[in-house]
Amino acid sequence: MAQVLMKDLNKKYDEVHAVKDLNLHVRDKEFVVLVGPSGCGKSTTLRMIAGLEEITSGEIVIGDRVVNDLPPKDRDIAMVFQNYALYPHMTVYDNMAFGLRMRKYPKAEIDRRVREAAEILGIQDLLHRKPRQLSGGQRQRVAVGRAIVRHPQVFLFDEPLSNLDAKLRVQMRVELKRLHERLETTAIYVTHDQVEAMTLGDRVVVMRDGWVQQVGEPLELYARPANRFVAGFIGSPAMNFADVTVLEQGGALWIEHPGFRLRVPPDRAARLQPYRGQRVTFGIRPEDLRVATGADPQEYTFEAVVEVVEPLGPEMLLDVRVGPATLPLTMVVRVDPSVRVRVHEAVRLAVDPERMHFFDLRTEAAL
Amino acid sequence: MTVPAACATDTGSRSGAVLRAAAPGARRARRREVLAAYGLLAPASLLVLGLLAYPVLWEGWISTTSLSAQGGAPTFVGLANYRRMAADPFFWRATLTTIVYFAATTGAKLVLGLAMALLLARPARGRALVFLAVFLPWAYPGGVTVVAWYWMLNPPLITSYSLAVGQLKHAVDAVLGPGAYAFASVALFNVWRGASFTAIFLLAALNAIPTELFEYAQLETRSPWLRLRHVTLPLLKPFLALAVFLSFTSAFADLANVWMLTGGRIVFPVLGTYAYWLGVRRGELAQAAAWSLALVPVLLAALLVLFRWFDPPEERQA
Repeated sequence: MAQVLMKDLNKKYDEVHAVKDLNLHVRDKEFVVLVGPSGCGKSTTLRMIAGLEEITSGEIVIGDRVVNDLPPKDRDIAMVFQNYALYPHMTVYDNMAFGLRMRKYPKAEIDRRVREAAEILGIQDLLHRKPRQLSGGQRQRVAVGRAIVRHPQVFLFDEPLSNLDAKLRVQMRVELKRLHERLETTAIYVTHDQVEAMTLGDRVVVMRDGWVQQVGEPLELYARPANRFVAGFIGSPAMNFADVTVLEQGGALWIEHPGFRLRVPPDRAARLQPYRGQRVTFGIRPEDLRVATGADPQEYTFEAVVEVVEPLGPEMLLDVRVGPATLPLTMVVRVDPSVRVRVHEAVRLAVDPERMHFFDLRTEAAL
Repeated sequence: MTVPAACATDTGSRSGAVLRAAAPGARRARRREVLAAYGLLAPASLLVLGLLAYPVLWEGWISTTSLSAQGGAPTFVGLANYRRMAADPFFWRATLTTIVYFAATTGAKLVLGLAMALLLARPARGRALVFLAVFLPWAYPGGVTVVAWYWMLNPPLITSYSLAVGQLKHAVDAVLGPGAYAFASVALFNVWRGASFTAIFLLAALNAIPTELFEYAQLETRSPWLRLRHVTLPLLKPFLALAVFLSFTSAFADLANVWMLTGGRIVFPVLGTYAYWLGVRRGELAQAAAWSLALVPVLLAALLVLFRWFDPPEERQA
């Protein structure tokens, strides 16, 4: 029904440049998640789309209308706030009907829509309660229901699950995804939680300091991060990083660190050739490291000492020290729980050469 | 229903047994704690009893006696003072004046205070200065401002505007009856001072309400009037009720301002000033007590209603 287009979007406050030259095309029916640490400009972007913040420069198009100068209520969007923003003096029914009443819909139509939305969300029995009589999860449903009844062109979600406890958050996450499949409405969702971003988004926009870092499908961000920030932000536990020197020896490129020396995979050598003799950042995800076996080629393994063992059940995390004690580098390794290791034990680790990441030390761009 | 009840008694008796087992050491510690609690409550209780309860009860008592400054041992007269008061047409006029005074000033204070609070709630350049200006009437000592207002409204000397004010006074009194100008001056002062307080008070309330509640309304309607009616006012209701509550005090108990602004002349009667006049000027202490207690039942009823508004009983949890 509606695309959302952002062209060279900027937001400047007196001293802060909150959003910088943002360009994004959210396609019709797409679920796009804006993710980043606090202060990255994601919420500001959402609020500009909603019309709660003025646009400093640039353009926002919803459907085929430029909405820059349209008041919020004419933008045909519905927003769900982090703290739900339910009116304490109104019943659930009145809260859900509020927007339609303000727009002077006929009573029968309002009633039909409210009951339909209540049924979708399973809150039919709560319609006559006041918000304070509801649990966090129920309030969340009412807030979503209030958006659904409007049949908007675009849903805007501002960290809607942040106030819920961990278990409920996982449950509501699934419900939101199911809801989106059912309603087929364009949705823009803001969160600081990368897991939420990865599980909900058809595409994910990673932001930092007002800049878009990368836009892509979740697995694309995971497998091919555009820079060191995205690489570290997406994935949990985070990617391990080490500053290394690129060397050429015996016709091959190597990266060297006081704790290890690894061969650059031949297909990556061309990109790293210009960095010979210089330093780059090497990155490897915890799941792309494992305890080595005899079959692993020497040039992709290195020594480490186990410092902490975290058995999580389906997997086990090892915090290991790499390199001399005077220059310690800590890495996290995700291994099968059947692996038998003890604290202080020396282990040999193998890297998956296909999954090695390299970043320019200065620009942090992926190589 | 029966099962949990049984459980409750069960655990109850068991904890009772535990308590008994722990005695007497635990019981002594508990008694010490209770004594300490009463000890800590004592200063506040003494203050409330000595400064609030005792005078009111004493006033209630003397209103049923013949106590008077003219001497003679007071005797119990029952409700005679109240009967005399009810028969006095002046009492009914004073009551009406007081109620009109309360209603008019409270209404004006709420409207002006709310308007100022709403204007101050939005970020703007120079907001701090405006805030200060709004705050000043309330922060300034009442005794000083009253004199300023008195001189402004009743110029004591020949000034450039004395004539104009004099004509205004006569015009007002001619249309609305004698005492109307004095009534208007007192009301004006009350509103000037009270609106300032109400504004600061409501501004604090507005700032305490999560902004999303207002933002959501902004997403749904453009009409500021609809937003005010359906969102801002209901959210402010407890605070507005509290403002009315506080306005009661200034209308019914604020003798000083009325007295000073009218130069001590009873040009129009409100219950407070007339009671003062009866008691202090004429020495009819018992009669004065009856007058000042006359509206207490009405006030209590009104306060109860207001209290439910700004401190609504907890609704049943889900």
